[in-house]
Formats: sequence, structure tokens, C-alpha cells
Amino acid sequence: MSKEYSSLISELREKLESCSSQHDLSNIKSHYLGKKGIISNEFLKLRTALPEERKLLGGKLNALKDEAQKLILGKVSELSASEDFNEKIDVSLPGSNISLGSRHPVNLTINRIIDILRNYGFETVDGFEIEDEFHNFDALNIPASHPARDMHDTFYVSDNKLLRTHTSSVQIRSMLSSCPPLRIMTPGKVYRSDSDPTHSPMFHQIEGLCIDKNINFCHLKSLLSTFIIELFGRDMDIRFRPSYFPFTEPSAELDIKFNGKWLEVLGCGMVHPNVLSNVKIDSKKYSGFAFGLGIERLAMLQYGITDLRMFYENDLSFLSQFKGLK
Amino acid sequence: MKISLNWLKEFLGNIKNNDQLIARLTSMGLEVDSVTKSKKDSVIDIDMTPNRADCLSVMGIARDLSPIYKKKVSMPKVAKLSTKTKSYIKGVNKKISTVYSILVIEDFDNSLATPKNISDRLELCGISQINFIVDVLNYVMLEIGQPMHVFDKDKLNGDLDVRFAKKGEKINTLDGNEYILSTDIPVISDNNGPQAIAGVIGSNNSSVGGDTRSIVIESAFFNQNLIRKSAKKYRLQTESSYRFERGVDPNLSDLALGRVIDVVSQYSKIKKHTYNSVVTKPASPHLNKYIKMDMSDFERILGEKIPNKFIIDTLSYLGFNPVMVKNKLKVSVPSHRFDISIPEDIIEEVARVYGYNNFSEIPLPPTNLSTNNISRNNTNIFLDLLSSRGYLEVITFSFLPKDSQELFLSNKSKIDVLNPISEDKSEMRVSMMNGLLKTAKYNISRQNSDIKIFEIGKTYKKQKDKSISEENILAGIISGANYSHNLKQLQKIIDFHDLKGDLMSIFPNLFFKESKNTSYLSNSCQAVIAQGKKTVGLCGEPSLSLYKQFGIKNKIFYFEIYIDLVKLNQKVTYKPISVYPKIFRDLTLLVNNNISCDDIINSIQRKSFNYMINIRISDIFYSKKDFGNDKKSMTIELVFQDNSRTLQDDDVNGQMSKIIGFLEKEFNAVIRN
Repeated sequence: MSKEYSSLISELREKLESCSSQHDLSNIKSHYLGKKGIISNEFLKLRTALPEERKLLGGKLNALKDEAQKLILGKVSELSASEDFNEKIDVSLPGSNISLGSRHPVNLTINRIIDILRNYGFETVDGFEIEDEFHNFDALNIPASHPARDMHDTFYVSDNKLLRTHTSSVQIRSMLSSCPPLRIMTPGKVYRSDSDPTHSPMFHQIEGLCIDKNINFCHLKSLLSTFIIELFGRDMDIRFRPSYFPFTEPSAELDIKFNGKWLEVLGCGMVHPNVLSNVKIDSKKYSGFAFGLGIERLAMLQYGITDLRMFYENDLSFLSQFKGLK
Repeated sequence: MKISLNWLKEFLGNIKNNDQLIARLTSMGLEVDSVTKSKKDSVIDIDMTPNRADCLSVMGIARDLSPIYKKKVSMPKVAKLSTKTKSYIKGVNKKISTVYSILVIEDFDNSLATPKNISDRLELCGISQINFIVDVLNYVMLEIGQPMHVFDKDKLNGDLDVRFAKKGEKINTLDGNEYILSTDIPVISDNNGPQAIAGVIGSNNSSVGGDTRSIVIESAFFNQNLIRKSAKKYRLQTESSYRFERGVDPNLSDLALGRVIDVVSQYSKIKKHTYNSVVTKPASPHLNKYIKMDMSDFERILGEKIPNKFIIDTLSYLGFNPVMVKNKLKVSVPSHRFDISIPEDIIEEVARVYGYNNFSEIPLPPTNLSTNNISRNNTNIFLDLLSSRGYLEVITFSFLPKDSQELFLSNKSKIDVLNPISEDKSEMRVSMMNGLLKTAKYNISRQNSDIKIFEIGKTYKKQKDKSISEENILAGIISGANYSHNLKQLQKIIDFHDLKGDLMSIFPNLFFKESKNTSYLSNSCQAVIAQGKKTVGLCGEPSLSLYKQFGIKNKIFYFEIYIDLVKLNQKVTYKPISVYPKIFRDLTLLVNNNISCDDIINSIQRKSFNYMINIRISDIFYSKKDFGNDKKSMTIELVFQDNSRTLQDDDVNGQMSKIIGFLEKEFNAVIRN
């Protein structure tokens, strides 16, 4: 390094020595190496230099520039090792593209029930929503003159075709098409001509059916008690009380105690021998039980929903409350 | 049904624990809906199941509780009826009535105020007061379960005839309506015409009032089905029809008349009464029905051994007549139990009294039945994937407003609900689109305009042969902004390719083909979705008329997938991964505008050139100036790799020239780079 420039270099060394931030460093860099920096100014001398001196001066200046660059670069890596140069990130800002949808609370509830019952050997079966009177009523021991048909205010689409009033019609079709033993569950939409804050003309049900040799009422009680515990995830006060359905005998209803009050959650019973004989199953050889429950009612209990109509208004502010549920 | 607690206790004797009594009702299947306490009494509201006609009276309910309190319930005090005469009844059609009894009282003072103990109980039970004799009849009906009717004898013309109505006959009923009767309606008539729709309601013309001085009281057994028919036809559910259509004990008719005399006599002296009864089929204490069963049937169905003595005692208290010989049981059914006909009915009677909650629980035996519903599981996988891409699941009604689907299908294939609950739910949907557009509109108007929704459901169509088909459809709609919470990217309004991207991420091997055939989609933006060679759905923008019909101004994209036709990813078999480097090549070509990018990519893929493992479009460029209106420039990126060695430039160059040759030949492409 030539004499006239060595002082420049040592000055640079001193400055770099005391520099401790990225900001200062970039100032130093532009002070020496910038377009109008000290070293660039020195290069301007080349223009006025005599041709025979130009080569020598050029060599000196290049050496100066190399040295300055080397020093500054050294400082850059030194600083980057000790300090983070990157802009500090704000971890509290929202993540990008947050988007999660969800299943409908009615289907969430159906899927939960299916998951529980599958462990007890029940298979999901789907069926027609537009049914005939045989599968929806007659085969289920509900003849035309029966007062129980009043319990089902039925929508008709033709003389004989109707919107199923329960999913039991699917059970009839299953029993007709396969032989016992049988464990099935039938979730789906059902329709009754009823509309007020607690009734909707369309709602969802799931029904279960178990047919085998030696199936009895104590099996029914055991399955449904465990089912309720698994569904609610805790021990519940439950009671069975006698009820009436044309397709079961004996018939029962299961109530749970919720906030100090008994609420009925499902109907059940031993499959009526007339139903078994309607589907050509020998009721001396086989017996079975069936149960059915309304999904909306259960979903309302589970999520604290107070108005049934919320399920079909499909307000996104309502639906997005069920994100991440399984 | 509302009953008074004190009244019930009169039949059961000295019961101290009211709460326990009420709990017993529910445990017996007579579900207590509510209990309202008043000063001296309580009203118990029971939710009666339709099979329990025998419990539509205080006496009947007490009888049902009798095995629990081990107390036989007997009839209240009954006066003796005078000898049967042959007057006042002209005829009884035996199809209508098997027992038709009347009681005639002359010199009767109906201006008497109803005694307080009667009127109080009627009020508790929710029965309005009319006048003395009507109130007494209602009281006896509540007490023992026999509905009765009273005529003002002075208003009747001639004897009573129990018959079907004649064509065109009219009746002005007590509820103030006039009905024109059809010939399948049973009536009680005099010479002037129908004076009552049998078992349902009486006529204004022969009704009793405070000034009535002589009365004819009718107490009968009517055919259940006929009463049900009339009540349903004229929508008349009266206390009387309610009981008759469920079944009234045929042995009660005369007892009820005797009870009426006893009650009336406590307040007003009856000098003389006339009694007549026409019995077309004699009733007996039992229904002449015997149920034969094995004692072991109880355990077979209930799962628990119940002591024989308990079974016999229970049935006896309830009025059955059980006879046990060795292990066989023969039970005769009392005339008030229409609901009992098979062994299982008897089993339920015993189980009710035993207490459902006292049975133990026996775990269901394990099974090796399959529980796998493949199509349902597959569908659920797609639905879960859609929701993880931000879609919310909705459920809309399967029925739609009248005439709202003209765009979708011809009227022939549409299915109407014959008795809709309202005009806006009167035809079955043939497409999912209406419900989804309605949902979109609802949310947009509630300031939720960023919409990504889907629904799984059925559509319903009538086929040419009149049969009905139901199809499972997965459909959805997107609208509004694509990125809502993102500081780095600007809000982006969704477009067709956002929808396509979502679908392609979820369903394997989808192809989209431009189409114009669907009337409810816009002509400029609609595509048929195929998986392999099979058409599995549709997507695009709704037609202008749908935008208008629903009053939606925001841009919307719709899709529908015929979910049962869609295949899940094929069975996965592991393929070895290459450890050798990939070579990337770009190819820019000029092709005619009408050649779809998909076609070019797919045909190269189908040709399966050596070493080529991937291909994608990396750029597309239109320039009127450079290559005119009918051409576009597209750049495709091709990736080459081999499993066994590092590829050399020559390997790739060879393939590239084959590909270029193919493109030039197939698509008239001009290579630009």
C-alpha cells in the first residue's frame, strides 16, 4: 500500500473498529466506496493524470479499492455473526390464508353417532327418501286405520308414494334383502308435516336395528346406556320408561337428565313379531331390538342451540362456529 | 290428558307419598308431562300414548297403578237401571254400533246449577262447563271413560235410528258449523234427519239447554274405524271421538248410565226413567281373546327371570285372567284392553310393572359383521377435504317454492308434494342449485359475502316410466374474496379457476371440458367435469336469469358432482423414488386459440415419453400485435428423470425433439424457443 493511501486505510480501520451497527456500516461503506465516496473521487484523478503515470496510479487505486472492500466485507460478516440484520418480524401479525371450513352440526352429530355404533358392529345403510306405504307404514305394523298414523303427519307425492316419516323404511328394506344376524344403522332425512320452533318439516334421524338369536331387552339397555355415556363423554343420569311404537313390543323411551330436567332422547324396543314376519324372519328363532333418535334435538343439547331453525337458515356466522370439530 | 290427583287417590285409597305416585305413572308408561299444584289439589298432565285407550279416565289410570299398590280398583257407585223397554230406538246398524243404550228422563230440571265438586274437577281437567246434565255426563266420562251424548227429548221427532247418512243430508253441529254428510258417515237420526255424527258431535237442533225438561241420554259402543274416519274427514277431534276412535270398553255403556243416575240423584230427584238397549253383538268381560305362551318367553325377550307369582299377580290386578299350567300360560284379555293381542304385549305388561329401570344390562355379544360402508366413507373423505379447504357445509330443504325450477327440468320430471306445508315448500328439488343460491343470497344480505359452501343431498326426479329416481349430489358455491386475512396479498375476488383448483385438489384425475348445454349455467362460463372418461359433474357461473331470480349481484361460481360416480384415489402402491437429478426444460409454442391447454398437456402425458416424469403449463400469453387474434403462446415446463442413472443432455434432447415433432404434427404448433 502506497504511503499516501495507507493513512486512508488506517482511518477506515479505526472507523470500522468502532462501528457496531448495520446502519453505521452502510454509512461508512458509502463514505468510502459510494459513487461520490472518497475512493471514487480518487479514481477521478486518473482522468487528469499524465499517460505515463496513469498505469501506476491505476494499480495503486485498484489496490486501495480492493483493500477497502475486503475490510468492509470482513466487518459485514463479523456484524452478521453477532447481530441479526434482517428486519425484525412481528409474530403477532395474523398468519396467511387462514381458511378452515366445517361440517354441518347435524352431520357432525350423525358422524359421531356412527363412529360410536360402528364399534358395536353396526353398519351404515342408506335408502330412499321417497317411499311407498308398505315400507314406511304397513310393514312396520302401522295399518291404514291405525291411530299411530296420526303421529306421523305424512307428505304425499302420489297416492302411494310419500316422503318417509322415519328411516325405519330402510330397516325394512335391509331385512327383506339380507338374512340375520343383522346390525345396521340408518341415518338420514325424514319428513313430517309439522312446523314450529321445535318442529321442522324436514329433520334428521338415525335408527339402529340388531337382529340375532337370543337378543333381549337387557342387551338393548346395555347398548343404549353405554351409547349415551360415549356420546356425551360423561356419565349421565338416564331412565327407561314404557312407551308405545307400533313396530316394537315391549317399547321404551330413554330420557336423560339435563340441567335437572328429564328430556327424552330416543325411542326403542324389541322388534314387534309382526314386523319380523312381514320381512320373513322367524320370530321364534330370532329376536332383536331397534332404536331411533332425532339428530337435531341431540345437536341442540350438545352445542346449546336453542332454536331449531338455525340448522336450516345456514347463516355462515352460525356454521363457522363448528370449525375443527369431528 | 289432565286429571286431578285427589280424584285418582279416591280410587287407590290411602296414599301418602304424592311424588312417588306421580313417578310411578311415568314408570308405568303414563308419562307425566307436568304437575300443577293448586290449593287443595294437583293437576297431573299425562302424555297418553295412542294405544292406551283404557287410561283415558281416572278409573283406568288407577287400574293401571293397581298392581303397584296391590289394590284392586272397582267401579264407583252405580244405580240400578229399570227393566229394558222397547221404546225410543228405531234401529241400529250393527256395522256402526254393537251396544246402543239410551236412558230417558222426563220431568227433569236442567236449570240446576252444576254442583261445585263437579264443576271444580271439570275445570281442573280442562273441560268447559255447559249445563247441569252435560257437565254430569262429562264428569262420568272423565271418571270411568264412557263418552255419552244427551238430546233434548222435546226437540226430537220420533225414535232414534243409528244408520249411515243419506246422500246430501246436512247437520248443524254444536260447534256452529254446517256439514254436508257423505254416505260413509254414521249418524244418529230422528224423523227430521241426523241429530248427531255418531260418537263425534251432536246437532244444534236437538241440544239441551237450561230450559230442557226431558232428556234422552245415549251411551254406546261405536266402531273405532268409522269414528276415526268421520273425525278425520271433518277435522273434529272431540273428547268423545278421541276416546271412541281409540276404543271404549263395550261393557261400560250400561254401567255409565247407572253411574249417571247415581250422580244426578245426589242433587235432583229422578221420579222415573226409561231404559232401552239394542245389542247387536253381546259384549263379555273379556275380549274372547286368549293369548297362549310359554313362561320362558318372558326371559327370552326380557333377558331376566321374573318370578311366576309376580307375573300372575300383575296380570290379575290389571284385569287379565292368567292361568298357568306347568310352564304354559293362558291369558284372557279384559274388554278394556284393545291393545293386547300377542305374547309380547303380555310381556310388556309385566315388564312395565317390574320397572324398566330394574332390568340389568347385558353387553351385546361381539360380532364379526362388516361395518364398512365404502361409498359413505369415501363421500365423507371428500367432504372433510372440502371443509379443510375452507368450505362450510350447509343443509337446505329438499322441497322448494312452487314453480321455481322451470330452468332446470321439464315439468314432467318434477315431483310435487300433494299436501305441502306451505307454498314455498311444495316441490321436490331437481337440482341443488336453488337451495345454495338462496343460502348465498341470505348470507350476502347479512354482510357475509365471502362464501364457500357445499351441500351433500339428494335430487328427486320422475322417470319416463313414472318411477322415481333419487341421486346423491355434492354441490357448492363460491363467491366474494379468496384471501380475507392476508396482509401480504391484496384481497382477491374469486374466479372460475379458484373453484377448479379446489375441486382438482380434492378429486383425483379430474378433467374440465368447455360446454354450452346446461341452461342454468352461463354460456360463457360452464364446464363438464369428467373423471377418466366418465362425466361426474358440472361447474360454472349461474345463468343471468338465475342471478336475476335470486337478486344476486355478486359473482358466483357453482359446482355439482355426482358423488356416487366419483372414484377415490386408486389403491396406492409405492413406487421407488429416484436418487438421480431431475432435468427441467421449457418449451414455448404458438398454437391456435381453439386448442385447449388441457388437451396439449394430456396428450403429451398419454404418449408417455421416456424419462418424462412431469409436465405443467408455466405461462400463457396472448398478443394481437405479435401473433394475431387466433393464436396464443404457451410455455410448458417438462421434467425428466431416470431411476437408474443421471440423465445426459443427449437423452433429454432426444425426447424433446420427439415431443416437438409430436406437437407440430398433432397441434400445428410452432416452436418459439
